[in-house]
Amino acid sequence: MFVIDRAALFLVAVGVFVVCLPAIAVYYFRRARRSSQDDWESILKRLAPVDRSCVAEVALDIIDESGQQRMDESSAVLEPAEIWKLVGGMEGLKAIEANCMVLIDLAFYVQQKYPEAVVTTEELRLNAREIAWHVERLKAAAESGKLDSVFAMYAQRATATYYLMTRQVLALYEHDGLPMLASLQRAL
Amino acid sequence: MHLTGLDLLFWAAGLGSHLILLGVLLICGRYKTFPIFTAFVLTNVGRTAILYCVERYGTKASYFYSYWSLAILDVCMQLAVVYEMYSLTFRPLGNWARDLRGSFVSLVGASIAVATGLTCLAAPHARLWMQVVVIKGSFFTSTCMSELFVGMIALSVRSGLPWKTHVARISQGLGVYSIIDVLIEAGHSYFGVGRDTHLYTNLSHVRMTIYLVCVVYWIVMLSLKASDPRPLPDSLRMRLIDLQSRLNIDLEKVRAGRCS
Repeated sequence: MFVIDRAALFLVAVGVFVVCLPAIAVYYFRRARRSSQDDWESILKRLAPVDRSCVAEVALDIIDESGQQRMDESSAVLEPAEIWKLVGGMEGLKAIEANCMVLIDLAFYVQQKYPEAVVTTEELRLNAREIAWHVERLKAAAESGKLDSVFAMYAQRATATYYLMTRQVLALYEHDGLPMLASLQRAL
Repeated sequence: MHLTGLDLLFWAAGLGSHLILLGVLLICGRYKTFPIFTAFVLTNVGRTAILYCVERYGTKASYFYSYWSLAILDVCMQLAVVYEMYSLTFRPLGNWARDLRGSFVSLVGASIAVATGLTCLAAPHARLWMQVVVIKGSFFTSTCMSELFVGMIALSVRSGLPWKTHVARISQGLGVYSIIDVLIEAGHSYFGVGRDTHLYTNLSHVRMTIYLVCVVYWIVMLSLKASDPRPLPDSLRMRLIDLQSRLNIDLEKVRAGRCS
């Protein structure tokens, strides 16, 4: 019978620990360095492509073009299955979450370069984190098989907020006449 | 207790390097930003001086109790430094970032759990139960410290809260030292302390050398001036304020719930 020696087990466990811990540190250091080396435009370039027309359809089911909640009879008519299809399922939600991470990186970048902007960037960071939190809850629900019961509650809200948020980013670019607008419109 | 020339050299180098570091903190005015770290350095200076006096004029028992009492104080001060680094990073507006409270609890819980698990696996050979306690305690502390520093890096990047220059340097020094210290303490635990304490002492010397390198790193880094923050261009300020205000309005709608 094979018996594992306690001392050997201890050495293996410590070995795994001292390999994993620096690996995690290096991974996050590289992520931080990438964020600090990028500029505003290159961070926004990392936005994952999302089907904007479908996102708009899901969002405009509960809000109007001005961002106000719709109260008319034809509002909130999309069924969870339709929302799921339009959003692109879990892959689509992951893209939305990835884009929220880009906005968090944007806050990180600005706060690092311009510490005096801390109040503004902190609010931006918290808002993007809140949307990412909605999407994370959906992912957790999907993994535990409870997605059907919570999907309509979180997915449409997250999508609507994402729609409005990214529209503001696009509006900022459009207003400034920046050359990246076309590629951003394709991504967002 | 017999001290070799090498022991005395480490002692002197430790005292000297800490005094220089203290000088840098005071002359460059860093003590205002890092009062706890300054207290930690001051404690180390005091600790070295007290232990030298006790070793020279006190009894073996008094040295033993002084050494371990001050070692506990050192651990407490290291934890306080961790708190200071967390505080300087995760309180951008003076309050703890509200999205990170759960993460802090998880991080501390996970750190303690992993450190406890590893410490339970350790079975150091020692003649006295007190030596077992000391070896396991040191291993537990270094494991916890290293996890907290790596956790701080991860949390800072994931949450989008950057480190200030000198916070990064202090944390990097203490973090790297803690990770190497895990290996040293694991070595202490694996080889134990028998009648021959040669290996135990050699490992301790390696630990002290690493720590001295860390102190020198702090001296150099803290004596350098952090780069001046750039003024925020008006155009970027306006863009951010606009983006943030619109986001707030949108999120209020999301928080209000789905209309039906």
